[in-house]
Amino acid sequence: MSTTIRGAKTFVDEVASEPGGEKINECIQCGVCSGSCTTVEWWEFPPRKIIAMIRAGKRKEVLSSNSAFNCVTCYLCTVRCPRGVKPAQLMHAVEAIAEREGYRPKTPTLKLFRSLRNSMNRGRIWELGMALRFYFFDNIWLGVRNVPLAWALLRRGLMPLTPPKKVNGEKQVVAIMKKVEEIQRAGGKI
Amino acid sequence: MKRYTYYPGCAMASTGQGIQTSIDAVCKVLDIELLELEDWTCCGCPGESINELAAVAMATRNLAIAEGAGLDVVVPCSCCYRNLLGAHTIFIEQPRIRKQVEAALKAAGLEYKGTARIRNLVDVFLMDVGADVIHSKVKVPLNRLKVASYYGCHESRPFGPDDFEFPQWQDKIVESLGAETVFYPLKAQCCGGAQLFSQTDMVRKLLYKILDDVEKHGGQIISSTLCPLCFTNLDVNQGRIRNREGKRFEMPIVALSQLMGIAFGLTPKEVGLNKNISPVLKALESYTKVLA
Repeated sequence: MSTTIRGAKTFVDEVASEPGGEKINECIQCGVCSGSCTTVEWWEFPPRKIIAMIRAGKRKEVLSSNSAFNCVTCYLCTVRCPRGVKPAQLMHAVEAIAEREGYRPKTPTLKLFRSLRNSMNRGRIWELGMALRFYFFDNIWLGVRNVPLAWALLRRGLMPLTPPKKVNGEKQVVAIMKKVEEIQRAGGKI
Repeated sequence: MKRYTYYPGCAMASTGQGIQTSIDAVCKVLDIELLELEDWTCCGCPGESINELAAVAMATRNLAIAEGAGLDVVVPCSCCYRNLLGAHTIFIEQPRIRKQVEAALKAAGLEYKGTARIRNLVDVFLMDVGADVIHSKVKVPLNRLKVASYYGCHESRPFGPDDFEFPQWQDKIVESLGAETVFYPLKAQCCGGAQLFSQTDMVRKLLYKILDDVEKHGGQIISSTLCPLCFTNLDVNQGRIRNREGKRFEMPIVALSQLMGIAFGLTPKEVGLNKNISPVLKALESYTKVLA
């Protein structure tokens, strides 16, 4: 279904209305982002191509590819972009849409980001708890592979076994996150 | 005595314990008072990739509290630094998101006016304290030590204040300690720390490039940025990566503040070197034994 109904929201508009995607229409396809990208060899489609695909309305292909999730947010693209598109932020916008709509790109990173986001609700991050939850529920083999790494940290007390002490701000954090969710469910309206 | 509001970030209490110890010790020597931000919470960086609004709201919560004191907010962790400054920038530049964030903060009874000044600790060391003052505090000059400074991404990208392609500020501090700096092109390359949990192979390849570059250019020790994520990623992973000769990397890795502490004549324990995984004590032996 590639026909566009007049007045309906196209994919590029959707990305542009997502925080971080505002400048997508400024892109001149010069490819500096792809050339600068630290991890481009792991991307299914390089960043320049992702932008072209978004504009061409290839919604499903973009959202189900692992590309945006391989972004390590190093900002080389962002500081070099001659048009100020902020490709790193743009990839976050794509990731946000993919996560919200339940796409399943072939990468463990989506679930990692989900665990990370959920771990914010406590106020402060507890690395061990976050890692255990991520590995046990989503990716047990990856967890087994990283046991020596965790051991090196645990042995030196660098990964506390108990969560950090509760902060008074926790209630505020919960209230903020609840309100953010509310705003997002209403499509940005307050 | 210079006073700042200090935002340590979550990782400083776990993987960054050694760095935190050294920051406390070094700041005492340099006459800097860091007042920990009361009731701080996560900077929002973990949620940034899939929920920008939540990340900005989390960051501005901390800024709203910090704003009242009227002091510069100093952040050692590059990720927290970038995220707090990024949230501040979005808050100022994008009225649409600003309104949403303000509504979210209001739900928690907070208000951010947009007046916080967020700064990196390296920036404070070099610009507020100054290289000559640091030099005057040196008791054990790190002569003949070839130090490769590793900056990581977010210390200078995308907001600076250092150059984002080829940062130099850490090198200037290292020079003032009497050490030799090593030129190597990948000093601001990403180490992949954000995805250490999920994409282990990718992260190790990125680390290989950095470590190989340092070895190739004759670095004896890496002085890493104060970010506990970059530091731990380099420290814990390098023993699992093989270099060109097929041997495992054994590059000693210290945080910049730890190196400063050693040059100031502090003991390895006072700068938290016992928490480092890489063979740092051996590399710094000749400097730590001078005063003992």
